[in-house]
Amino acid sequence: MISGRPTRRAFTISTLAAASMIGLGKRGFAQEGDILLGFNGDLSASPAAESAQAGVKGLQAAIDDVNAGGGVLGRKLSLIIRDDLSQPPKSIQNMSDLIDNQKVVAVFGPTNSGNAMAWRHIPNQKRIPVINSLSTGTEITKPISAGADSYIFRVALVDRQHVSSLLAYLKKSPATKNVGYLAETTGYGQGGLKDLQELGAEYGLNVVGTEKFDVNDTDMTSQLNKLRSAGVDSIAVWAQGVPGGQLLRSMEKIDFFPTMVMSWAAANTGFLQAAGPKLAEHPLFQRPVPVSLNPHQQQLFDRIMPHVASPTSFGYVAQCYDALMILTLAIKQAGSTDGVKVREALEDLQAPYEGYIKTYSKPFTHDNHEALTAKDYDWQKWKNGEIISYSDDVIKSLTPADFKS
Amino acid sequence: MGVYIQALVSGLSVGGIYALLALSFSVTYTTTKTLNFSQGDFVAFGAFIGVTILLMLSGAPDFNRLGPDASSGFRYPVAALGAGLAVGFVGILMFIAAIRPFAGKPGMNWVMSTIGFGIILQSLGLVIWGPAPVTVPQPLGNDIIRIMGAGVRTQELLILFVAIVVMLAFDRVMRKTRLGKVMRAVAQNPEVASLMGINLTLVMAGAFAFSSALAGLGGLLVAPIASASLYVGLWIALKAFSGAIIGGLDNPRGCIAGGFLLGLVESSVALWQAQWREIVIFLLIIVVLSLWPNGIFNRSTVDRA
Repeated sequence: MISGRPTRRAFTISTLAAASMIGLGKRGFAQEGDILLGFNGDLSASPAAESAQAGVKGLQAAIDDVNAGGGVLGRKLSLIIRDDLSQPPKSIQNMSDLIDNQKVVAVFGPTNSGNAMAWRHIPNQKRIPVINSLSTGTEITKPISAGADSYIFRVALVDRQHVSSLLAYLKKSPATKNVGYLAETTGYGQGGLKDLQELGAEYGLNVVGTEKFDVNDTDMTSQLNKLRSAGVDSIAVWAQGVPGGQLLRSMEKIDFFPTMVMSWAAANTGFLQAAGPKLAEHPLFQRPVPVSLNPHQQQLFDRIMPHVASPTSFGYVAQCYDALMILTLAIKQAGSTDGVKVREALEDLQAPYEGYIKTYSKPFTHDNHEALTAKDYDWQKWKNGEIISYSDDVIKSLTPADFKS
Repeated sequence: MGVYIQALVSGLSVGGIYALLALSFSVTYTTTKTLNFSQGDFVAFGAFIGVTILLMLSGAPDFNRLGPDASSGFRYPVAALGAGLAVGFVGILMFIAAIRPFAGKPGMNWVMSTIGFGIILQSLGLVIWGPAPVTVPQPLGNDIIRIMGAGVRTQELLILFVAIVVMLAFDRVMRKTRLGKVMRAVAQNPEVASLMGINLTLVMAGAFAFSSALAGLGGLLVAPIASASLYVGLWIALKAFSGAIIGGLDNPRGCIAGGFLLGLVESSVALWQAQWREIVIFLLIIVVLSLWPNGIFNRSTVDRA
């Protein structure tokens, strides 16, 4: 939640986080014999916190549903939540605490890709599956060393695929001659920039400038002026919602509005709030959830979204719900909560699962830990303060052969 | 050319807020030889006090629905006054709780106690307002003013204007009034000032009240640009502190110049390589401190003569 009044939900989360920090009820409301699951991610500090606040609601809803149906292997599920305040050291500490002290059997999160990169060796060494249902950094799910098993799975967008789609758009767009990249200096921004640069080279884009900015910056006019001087007519932006909004405000200052594609953080309310409804209409982005929901999705929306402050966060709720259900199926299939067995089951899931994002049939293999791919994403833009599905001649002309990976 | 004017304008407007806060560091340092290490939390607290006042005055149902006119007319000045007064009062509380027991004594206990006070303040803020940032409408409208091809927001000009007015007023008070004389006397030699009948505790508490009020005012000023957030103050205060160090902590005019200089350095480094900005700034601080240990603009006798 990037902006909003101090809702009861936010208050509950901060209270929970505070309670967990001072060691009150270390196991939350877990009963003896419950299967413990962890969530480790930023619930309060960074611009992306709104996604985690919504995501935790999705996890909790899925847990309620599983428990109402009798639990898994005859045991109830219970979630232990840790706020990492978007700080890598805190996130590492949370991870060790969840695995070593709390003895969770799997972890969800984190919110920020940089933090996943900071601790991804821990679950891999300790063989505890992580299902990342929020952060999109490409490298997160890869094995630590070539050929090794990876314990990190993902039910969320992947930067590289997202980048590939956005650059395919620029490649096909007749208006695009000179491309500029803009990225924030966080792990998220820099990971996305790496994907932009690698894929941009594959697409053969004419990239004439690359600029960076800090996540707290409020004035990026210097960077934008450099790009303008270089003759940039299209920009690809990798940033969280709020700095993305600040970037547009700086674009307005120097009256420079090139064609703009941006990471899906552009769909966050923080982006809308920072940019204002008019400027927010500039970037083109993608999300895994379509604008018009099917009745199945609408059901979950009506159940959860009244308790979520950010109205555009439904995607996170659905991803987290699906992620938890997929884990449950894997535990059932493995007949055990042992990390190795659960990983093997995840990589060879027999039962298809009709989730809220899509129907998953064998979502993962040993070499593919990504449940969602570019074809699951929808092109979108802001219009009058609402997200709409977007299409134009370029998008209509895109064929699978246009996408590189 | 427009590129450089834009960098100048942007640098000055960011520098204005650094300068205001750099001054706030200087005020307490000169009188008590201590600093508020949680000035950033005071900035954030001020922003939220101000936004809460705007909410009440505009009659909006919640922070999400602050209309574009929530800051218009008399509302914003009232909120600024309220934020300044409220945070100034908190500054006095901090002086009593976290500074007075340690001021003038050897050791650095006050560093920890001010940081601790800030943590308490931030936690209180989380309980009252929650972790979500709040978007604050600009009091003078959302237009862009164009100056020789460079664009600037009305709020940035307002920050610059308020910063300059506050600093000129402060300078005049320090140099032309009895109160200023008293403050300078305490800065020069607390023992002698005390023997001359000056109430040291009162002057020190006043310095903290003023310093904190500046932080609170700064918080509300920067809120329409960076949004009001309990986490936004830290980086602003850190930059302002850097500005104060560059200018010379015990020289208020130097601190102000240091704040502006830092803003200009930031925007010009971004013209070259934005990712080098922090590195350049902190290298600059190291160079300045090694060449002029008391800051570039410090002529230690000027203020005390």
